[in-house]
Amino acid sequence: MTPGSVLADEPLVRWDWVGDHLRYIWNLLVQHLELTFIAVGIGFAIAFVLALIALQWRPVYTPVNAVTGIMYAIPSLALFVLLVPITGLTTLTAEIALVSYTLQILFRSIVAGVDGVPDSVRESAAGMGYTRRRQLWTIELPLAVPVIMSGLRVATVTTVGLVPIAGYLGSDQGGLGQLIFTGLNRFFNTPLLVGAVLTVALAVVLDLTIVSVQRALTPWARRRGAES
Amino acid sequence: MNFLHEVFVWFNDPLNWQGTNGIAHRLLEHLALALAALVIACVIAVPAGLLLGRSRRKGSVAVNVANVGRAIPSFAILALGVIWIGIGYRPALIALVLLALPPIFVFTFTAVRQVDPATVEAARGMGMTEASVLRKVQLPIALPLMLDGIRLSAAAVIATTTLAALVGWGGLGRYIVDGFAVRDFVQVFGGVVLVAGMVLVSEAIFTLLLRFAVSPGIRRQRAPRRRQRRRDRPTAEVVERVVGA
Amino acid sequence: MTDPEPAVGPEHQPGTVSQPEHAADSMIELAHVGKIFPGSARPAVGDLSFVVPEGEIAVLIGPSGCGKSTTLRMINRLIEPTSGTITVAGRDVHAVPAHELRLGIGYVIQQAGLFPHRTIAQNIGTVPRLLGWDKQRVGGRVDELMELVGLEQDLAERYPSELSGGQQQRVGVARALAADPPVLLMDEPFGAVDPIVRARLQGELLSLQQRLHKTILFVTHDIDEAIRLGDRMAVLNVGGVLEQYGPPTEVLAAPASEFVVEFLGAERGLKRLSLIPVSEAKLDPGPVVASSSSTSDARAVLDRERSDWVVVVDDGRLLGWVGEADLGPGTGRVGDAPVRPFAIRLRRQATLREALDTLISSPNRVAVVVDDDDRYLGLLDVTRIGDEIETVDP
Repeated sequence: MTPGSVLADEPLVRWDWVGDHLRYIWNLLVQHLELTFIAVGIGFAIAFVLALIALQWRPVYTPVNAVTGIMYAIPSLALFVLLVPITGLTTLTAEIALVSYTLQILFRSIVAGVDGVPDSVRESAAGMGYTRRRQLWTIELPLAVPVIMSGLRVATVTTVGLVPIAGYLGSDQGGLGQLIFTGLNRFFNTPLLVGAVLTVALAVVLDLTIVSVQRALTPWARRRGAES
Repeated sequence: MNFLHEVFVWFNDPLNWQGTNGIAHRLLEHLALALAALVIACVIAVPAGLLLGRSRRKGSVAVNVANVGRAIPSFAILALGVIWIGIGYRPALIALVLLALPPIFVFTFTAVRQVDPATVEAARGMGMTEASVLRKVQLPIALPLMLDGIRLSAAAVIATTTLAALVGWGGLGRYIVDGFAVRDFVQVFGGVVLVAGMVLVSEAIFTLLLRFAVSPGIRRQRAPRRRQRRRDRPTAEVVERVVGA
Repeated sequence: MTDPEPAVGPEHQPGTVSQPEHAADSMIELAHVGKIFPGSARPAVGDLSFVVPEGEIAVLIGPSGCGKSTTLRMINRLIEPTSGTITVAGRDVHAVPAHELRLGIGYVIQQAGLFPHRTIAQNIGTVPRLLGWDKQRVGGRVDELMELVGLEQDLAERYPSELSGGQQQRVGVARALAADPPVLLMDEPFGAVDPIVRARLQGELLSLQQRLHKTILFVTHDIDEAIRLGDRMAVLNVGGVLEQYGPPTEVLAAPASEFVVEFLGAERGLKRLSLIPVSEAKLDPGPVVASSSSTSDARAVLDRERSDWVVVVDDGRLLGWVGEADLGPGTGRVGDAPVRPFAIRLRRQATLREALDTLISSPNRVAVVVDDDDRYLGLLDVTRIGDEIETVDP
């Protein structure tokens, strides 16, 4: 422990406290995951619809990009706080904010993924007799999966990191952020450490999970190299 | 409408500009921390990116590590920093530097890698020393993409610095935290406007930098080409957007 | 005599088109087809009309900007014409929805455009699946096609990225043939592979055509490819102007305009030679002697033909040649003398161009021509080949 730390009087981790509160910690972890998945799920659904529209009508892209970009630029703390007078100190507030942070990255990823499909593949599909709809769903979107999943990765991990900040809004919010704020407010190392470490761990685990899902979904990208 | 008017009044009140909690002071505080974090991150990430990007070995390990680095939540790091160092600006500085590192590194690395090997080889063939090749050929060509990475980091850092107020420090986040505590949303909004303004100024500075520091020959290459068909592609920015505030 | 003068034949004016006799035989018909892209001052394709008879390979060739690719893509409506009508198999292409039209036309492009996320078998089976064939039928057809284009069965479950360029092109062709369309559109399909592979693929396309008799419209910028593959060639000028349309031998022998002459390039005569099999040339019967005849008969032939060697055949089959000195004094059978093999032996289907090339690069002055059973057909030398260049084919 470095001197000067306000919390220096405390031992680093009081394991007995951890033991007593295992159930509590577990519930917060679950809540954290729920908040994350709901936010990313809704964000993806909205972004997907917007992306389909933007792919069909190109002029839509710029305004949507700008609006979602502005939403992303607002500091998370500020957005949580500013929504309070509108939707109160509830989970809804947190979810609205979390969803809006995922929108820009997911929107851009989906559009970029479909755009990135090689022209020759598009041309041969059209030339073979695919309708626009079938081509989009069976050819372009599957091929866009790598880029889309990249965006999903970033969105998920970002959300995991933002959920704790919602804990500022009140004692039933923020998943693992509860532990962090408890620790900060009561000058108590243990929950702070547990909350922070678990948040980081959760982010990394989800990141790696999505990477493996992506690899599983794209068997063709794994096999490279031509034989003569 | 009423609300916006109140915000306008808040900005206009000269009292709000003075003193420790005045706009002027908070702005400078915020700027100082953000700038410090950005500079430190650049000092670490840019040389690392340049060196690893130039080397012929596969850099995928470094990039993978950096990508995992992107997954780490700033707020959690901030909290961990508090444990080790205490409240104040130091844990915030560490958290912000860690936030800014991955994009700067990845963009610099990619930027150097993408320089046409033929150009580099021609430079060596002409008799340039390795240092000259880096300075006169690779760096100028890689500059735009590098600046893109730093620009992204700057925006993220400016926004995330607001979190420092949660651990007892100052900066523009103070308006958000203190405003919320007394339900003074005018103050909160004012703080947000200031942060957003700072981000916009940062973007403008980088746009100017891109205009003046980058050779016109490179700049023209980056301009989106007129396509006779529909699409114009979003650039590298898409997936590189950093874990924000 | 060096270059033959460019012969702009009197009966061939610019825009001459050798139309097939029976319109009912036509599979693809373009009538006054034009295309102007929005924002363009000049049309990409002007007023273009021609007919491709059923079962033939028609090649569209011309410099860049001549609209050959655009024309091809108007046939399956990847590009919509701004004027004129296009008819395929008797039906106007606008009579059905575009995607339905395309399901019935095979389409092969230069980069193949294989679907990276599907296996080779799935790629080939694309159109049948779209048409609703059941899995078994599709599987059988895929096996059939892979064999047809020369792909080993174990490639079926691989992905396109694992195949070489040549193999990918074969998959592209197989995929286009899957639903057995009567018409194939090919846009520089062999342009992206190296010359050796390209030559092989061209040969395979020709043998495939022998079996399948599809109607193929083939776009290329390679004049040698056009000459080799085409039953007919359409030479297009910038803006889709049809300068000449006819069989390659005709275009080469009697170019319709200065443009065509320039486009065919130098060595037009030599190019024609690559279309003429050796057996069609006027061969020199030569000093032939049966192996059973006597040496005195042989010497008589030597005197008559003013030659110092004779060709020896046995019941029509070539044995070789015998020089005057080897005949020896006195009598005996020619067959008992030391018979030497010819250095250059040409099969009947070798082209005159190959013959010329071989003759020029060897110290020999003469080559012997035989058929598939080694029966002697005649002799060929450089002068005779030169005579062929001068004849104008009908």
